[in-house]
Amino acid sequence: MHRFLRLSVLLMGLFAAVGSYAADAPQSEPMTEDDLGPAIEQPIEFPHVRHAKDMQINCMYCHTYARRSAVAGIPPLQKCIGCHNWIDSVKDKPRIKTLFEYWEAKKAIPWKKVHDLPDFVRFNHERHIKRFYFQLNRPVQEVCGYCHGDVKEMTVARRQKLLSMGWCVACHQKDHPVTAEGGTPIGNQAYWYGMRKPLIDVSGIIKAKGPNDCSVCHK
Amino acid sequence: MNSGSIKQLKKPLAIRLGEQTVLAKSLVMAEHPFDRRDFLKVLGWGGAAVALSGCGNGSVEDGKETVVSYVETNDYMIPSISVYFNSTCTQCDAGCSITGRIREGRVLKLEGNPDSTINRGKTCGLGQAGVQHHYNPDRVREPLLRTGDSGEAITWEKAYALIAEKMKDVSGEEIAFLSGGVSGHLKVLLGNYLDSFRSKNHFVYEAIAPAVMRAANKKSYGVEMPRFNISKAKVVLSFGADFLGAWVSPVHFSQQYAQFRKGDEDGQRGVLVQIESKMTLTGANADRWLVVRPGTEGILALGIINALGAAGLRLSGDVAGAVKGYDKARVSKDTGVSAEQIDKIVALLKARTPSLVLAGSAAEGYAHGSQNAAAINLLNQVLGNVGKTVEAAEVVPFPQMAPTTGNTAALKKLNDGLAAGKYKVLFSYAANPVFTAPGAMKFKDNLAKAGFKVVFAHYLDETALQADLVLPLDSALEDWGTQVPEYLATCAQINIQQPLMEKLHANTDGKGTRGMGDILLTLLKQRRAEEYKGFADYYAYLRGALLKNKVALGGHKVDDDTFWNETLSKGIIKLEGHVSALSSRSGTAGLSLPSPAAIDAQYPLQLIPSVNASLRDGRHTNQPWLQESPDPLTTIVWDSWVEIHPRKAAELGIEEGDIVEVTGKNGSVKVQAYLFPGIHPDAISIPLGRGHEALGRYAKGYGVNPFQILDAVFDKETGELALHETRVKVSKTGSRVIVVKDEGPVGGRQMGKKIAARLPSDKVKLSEEI
Repeated sequence: MHRFLRLSVLLMGLFAAVGSYAADAPQSEPMTEDDLGPAIEQPIEFPHVRHAKDMQINCMYCHTYARRSAVAGIPPLQKCIGCHNWIDSVKDKPRIKTLFEYWEAKKAIPWKKVHDLPDFVRFNHERHIKRFYFQLNRPVQEVCGYCHGDVKEMTVARRQKLLSMGWCVACHQKDHPVTAEGGTPIGNQAYWYGMRKPLIDVSGIIKAKGPNDCSVCHK
Repeated sequence: MNSGSIKQLKKPLAIRLGEQTVLAKSLVMAEHPFDRRDFLKVLGWGGAAVALSGCGNGSVEDGKETVVSYVETNDYMIPSISVYFNSTCTQCDAGCSITGRIREGRVLKLEGNPDSTINRGKTCGLGQAGVQHHYNPDRVREPLLRTGDSGEAITWEKAYALIAEKMKDVSGEEIAFLSGGVSGHLKVLLGNYLDSFRSKNHFVYEAIAPAVMRAANKKSYGVEMPRFNISKAKVVLSFGADFLGAWVSPVHFSQQYAQFRKGDEDGQRGVLVQIESKMTLTGANADRWLVVRPGTEGILALGIINALGAAGLRLSGDVAGAVKGYDKARVSKDTGVSAEQIDKIVALLKARTPSLVLAGSAAEGYAHGSQNAAAINLLNQVLGNVGKTVEAAEVVPFPQMAPTTGNTAALKKLNDGLAAGKYKVLFSYAANPVFTAPGAMKFKDNLAKAGFKVVFAHYLDETALQADLVLPLDSALEDWGTQVPEYLATCAQINIQQPLMEKLHANTDGKGTRGMGDILLTLLKQRRAEEYKGFADYYAYLRGALLKNKVALGGHKVDDDTFWNETLSKGIIKLEGHVSALSSRSGTAGLSLPSPAAIDAQYPLQLIPSVNASLRDGRHTNQPWLQESPDPLTTIVWDSWVEIHPRKAAELGIEEGDIVEVTGKNGSVKVQAYLFPGIHPDAISIPLGRGHEALGRYAKGYGVNPFQILDAVFDKETGELALHETRVKVSKTGSRVIVVKDEGPVGGRQMGKKIAARLPSDKVKLSEEI
């Protein structure tokens, strides 16, 4: 009994000490659905609106790694130059001048991260693009927009979605069609996503949920 | 209540509570002895509390962290996707081919290249640690010139100018170039550089090399390094050859050993008998491990031949004459191996053919080491193994690229020259003699007599610290090269070494690291500008040299670029080598073995400096993976130890963890004792490799260096250093430590559970054994 008391006193002390430490730390405000990420100052104010909306360039033309790899990466500088070398009309614009300064110095542009996840989360770009762009034939801006928002309306990208675990799971719990309209699932394809039996809704479309296993994201 | 006021309230309360608790804690602890288990529990809960308070998106760094993209990149470089390049491992001389995994331009992992006939896709622990050589924080990053006791960073331009100036008026006789084993194009360049001074003073030194065996093989078989077909043998009789650990080409032999044990051809499991004074990793795997009095391996070999003759094997006249005196009674008395065991070995060798007899470093390390090796080779010849399990290896048809193997006789020659003050300029590359030379040679003092000392170094090791000029080298994963391994497995091959990533310490402001080939090329241009002006760098030289021989290298069907790219992609050039038949002269001429030396009253114990599979001669001790991977037999980490037989220890009153002083004629070391039944009672063993006074944070100050107390005794025939000829005494110092090891307090007793049953040798019924 005495031993038990001793332990609980110690525990109380530790919790209190840790609590006071936690109270000192700046608490992040709770996030809501319509929360925007911080406005971020970038070395070059990259106009997504011009490229994605006015010029109708496919997102994946520049963000070419997204469909090939877990991480989307940042387009290499040579990608920018590849086009802009031939666009004389904007070469005297300050942003393009800065761009060429980096290129001539062969220095990488120190972009700031806009979408970051905690280190214990492994989001896989490739799988999401395979599923929604290549399999369901959804428009690319819609597919990227699920997580990145309406980037084509932005200049410098800003986080528009919550990117919290609850927000991810909310989508994984929805029933998504297994194939594009009129397509036939190949083999056990439907099971691959949900790890559970797909369901067939009233209109006859085979649907499945996203994976719900902890280890899918928390490796 | 709104949240603001909670925060205001909570803080002082918590502080008050905190103070009280600290008080309460100390009171409780003063009154009652605090149980360790309770303390850990509380710590655990505390940790959980911290973890909980750390929840949320605290680790997200959008807007703060910078993501750097490539400026230019190849199509195959995709973030998070690995690419693989083939190269060659340089951690030891076995020449295993490796495949490096590279992600985002950084090498992460090394594995074996399956195409290589030497290692067939496998690596050893030493090879795995290669990345720690590359990323080591203690690498030298700029050329250093000695000013008094410190080094001043200078540019390469200045360093080259300095060398040119120092070399201006010296003759070839006054130059000494010390290096480890070299082969391939580096050897060619090195040779040409010395040739430009008409210097013949290239000293090729390896601290632990099978040099005595090479010489004995040359005499017995006609080649220095034949191919040993362990997989074809039915019995392997190994005299201290640690072929699973550190002998010649361990990764290759380990695979051969697996086939040997499986009995791939006829299902008959091969039998391994290991005879040595100190158990090695191979000995621990043997079916029968026999302890032999140190130095009497040759006597035992001749005794076995004699017994084979008595058991009906036909011996030629000269062999019968040579082994005449070695009857079982005498051999048993000299070696400590019972007559019954000799009979058993003879029965085994007669029942199973072919067999294979190996002479390892343990048999060679004596003043009569050559005789031991010759006697053991004779046993191979008598058994008819030559041409069956001992075969001629293929030879690479470019003799100028063939490996120049190192030995210790070269060190002695260099040391004598240094002592006489013969050298005005000394170069040192891939060797650390200040650490590995026996203390009795006084190498460090003699080195000071050299005029100008240039050391090519990855780290500031003991030798680099003595230098006047230290030139920093690229790591093996940053440099170009070609390599011809000494031990070729099934075909002749040239290994390609290529950079797996950009230089970590690149050439900024004319400083930074450089490749050895590039340095030699620049030095050669100082001498023979016309001849070498066509080669911008070592890469261009290598490419040019290999393309010139494209047809001979098997590229007659493809154009230059295709050939070059394919070669780099494979990492190996396999060749049609030529084979010369082994000679089968029985080497009985001049065979004479001394009787075992009487025990010295003052220094009664034989010191066996043992070779650990991962630390070897100590050049890689600064790779923490190797420091922390337990020794396979004692499981000790991060420190040296002395192995003493339990019976001897009881006699001397020594227990495990006692700090003992091991004293020889040339100094002493203080080291923790470990009781080890796998050693001859009249011998003790200290592993080599530790005890550095330099070489960076992971090596300096850990353990002791047995090289420093070795006597300078040499093999009579080859002049090689006899590593096992040092006699010592052991005394207790009175202090004790807890030995840091993996095996737990009960030692090697398998936690009291009989996982692998053991039987003392005197309890074994030999007649029931294979």
